[in-house]
Amino acid sequence: MATQTTPKQATPSRVDRMRSWASETMIAGRPVIWYVTGWRFALIALILTILLPLVPYDVYPGIQSLVVAMTTVWIYVMLALGLNIVVGYAGLLDLGYVAFFVIGSYTFAAGTFGQLHDWTGGGVFPVPTFPMIWLIPIGALLAGFFGILLGAPTLRLRGDYLAIVTLGFGEIVPIVFQNLPTFFGNLGMSATQPAPIDTPFGQITFTDPLNNAPFYYLALGLVVLITLGVAALRDSSVGRAWVAIREDETAAETSGVNLTRTKLLAFALGAFVGGIGGVINTAFVPSILPVNFNFNVSITILIMVVLGGIGSIPGVIVGAIILRLFDVYILGLINDPIHQSALVAPATAPLHFLANVDFNVMKYLIYGIVLVIMILLRPQGIIPDARRRRELKGIGAAPEDMSAVGLFEAEEAGADIPALDNLDQTAYAGEGSDAQGRDS
Amino acid sequence: MAQAQPLLQARSLTQTFGGLTAVDNVDLDIQSGQIFSVIGPNGAGKTTVFNLITGIYKPSAGDIIFDGQPITGKRPDQVLRRGIARTFQNIRLFNNMTVLENVLVGQHTKMPGDVISALFRLPYYTSAERRAEQRAVELLGFFGDALVAKKDEYASSLSYAERRRVEIARALGSGPKLMLLDEPTAGMNDSETAEAITYIQRLRREFGLTILLIEHKLQVTMGISDRIAVLDYGKKIAEGAPAEVAHDERVIEAYLGRASTAG
Repeated sequence: MATQTTPKQATPSRVDRMRSWASETMIAGRPVIWYVTGWRFALIALILTILLPLVPYDVYPGIQSLVVAMTTVWIYVMLALGLNIVVGYAGLLDLGYVAFFVIGSYTFAAGTFGQLHDWTGGGVFPVPTFPMIWLIPIGALLAGFFGILLGAPTLRLRGDYLAIVTLGFGEIVPIVFQNLPTFFGNLGMSATQPAPIDTPFGQITFTDPLNNAPFYYLALGLVVLITLGVAALRDSSVGRAWVAIREDETAAETSGVNLTRTKLLAFALGAFVGGIGGVINTAFVPSILPVNFNFNVSITILIMVVLGGIGSIPGVIVGAIILRLFDVYILGLINDPIHQSALVAPATAPLHFLANVDFNVMKYLIYGIVLVIMILLRPQGIIPDARRRRELKGIGAAPEDMSAVGLFEAEEAGADIPALDNLDQTAYAGEGSDAQGRDS
Repeated sequence: MAQAQPLLQARSLTQTFGGLTAVDNVDLDIQSGQIFSVIGPNGAGKTTVFNLITGIYKPSAGDIIFDGQPITGKRPDQVLRRGIARTFQNIRLFNNMTVLENVLVGQHTKMPGDVISALFRLPYYTSAERRAEQRAVELLGFFGDALVAKKDEYASSLSYAERRRVEIARALGSGPKLMLLDEPTAGMNDSETAEAITYIQRLRREFGLTILLIEHKLQVTMGISDRIAVLDYGKKIAEGAPAEVAHDERVIEAYLGRASTAG
């Protein structure tokens, strides 16, 4: 027909263009895409993070503050990985994760200030100041023990009720520590530095402000270990049992899964990792400030998990990196330039009000907005877990092959999800079996 | 009785929910190797009996003895370990797990119980995992190669009949002695039902299972049962061989209503 225009040439989407760029551009005889998929991406990312503290001052003057920021990023990655065991795998909404962080923190303080020594009469802990390398497992085990203790009364609870009780524990634990006279109450403790470690290659000090590499590597090493451990458990009978109870408790039980044991295991392992994070954080900061142990910590870690992709290890890592880096580094970077440019702008300029806005104060508002947008547009997270994505999209969705670190696939898959559809589904996200019950 | 001790005995089993007595003083004796059916109108308490046996409900009164051991009040996973596996009336697969993973969960009791071996992939863990996978494929193979070919698909993507089979494969994973099938042919057409009858008989033959069956379709119960118990309003109103039960007045009354009102 003459009047009809030729069919519109479909313009390639951003993803298509990225993909074709990635498969056409060659580096060392391989297309870019070869490097950025699957384990190779993880390996390259790991090598880059290992090299980071070695960047000399001359190349980038802000390197030490970046290394410091990245160290706290790794600490939060640990915490997010730990919470992901409880929330992502076992499907138990824990709003009091800060409790285990606090237990780890005070364990370190008690080990460095001598309380552990005093309490045990010097038998178990012969020296007042205990080396950090021993306080890490001690703090982790103590936190894990309290994970079981606090998890046990919540076993019969689900969904909202579980969330409220865990929220309570998250408030109670820090208050208990604040009220133990030995820990100086609200004043907290400062200078809880770890002692230097003697190695065959020389002494490693953790307190040199000009060389933050030892702590950075310690935190990064722990992240790698925890990641490997969590991945191993996820792909084991334990991991399957977690998914099974998340999907259908009754069916899991009649298939031989001991609910009590499996849930407590998730709580204990999550708490164990949280304890490690607490120990490292207190050693690194190096102080205890009880006002910082609040609900915000629990909720920030939960946002990291949800933002990255609940139940997905690469997702949770990316979510924690983005949020924590934003918090401790990017906010600081953007605050001053924005203030200055807003100040020099004429008072009538629309963005002039930014001159009086402190973005550090507004960060929870920003997190909140990001979270709402995320839940509306992409509830499965940045790098979703294949199973969780199915749950969020509803039952009966066609199975799709998702590689764990397949950034390109993740990007593309997210593009075709109608927002309203997801809004409806997220209401059921916490109670997978109910959503399925409806269906059958 | 001629035979030795029954594999499963229920003694005056009673379950009340508030004022409602769902199961009222029910006695059951299931001999090893039998296919035993429980029939009855809707709401007669059949599924409640299953839930009592498998530990999902704790009986208000009465005892359950399995293999000479009391299992009253045990948790579902403990009951499974003793050798009682079950399927559900409204299939309860883990929909967002693959077929293979579903059957692997069924073998949970066969896996090492400690976390350390899984965490560090110790040899006895990896060999157990390998054995479990082989076994899962074998169990799926019981229902034919078509199901084996779908082992990596998500459970929710299977057809209704296939999902029933996967559920049975999952239940077989624990190596049970007694299998409880809750309406295994519900929602199936005639040819699928006929197929289901064959594999229920094969389950007994090839796995040496004793089977306790809830079934509505009389062609199934009358055709394959060794013995039938009839429940009505939570009470056992009749028990016997299929032919006896079919001619029992109380059974006809429960299903069709009183003869006088009909005539």
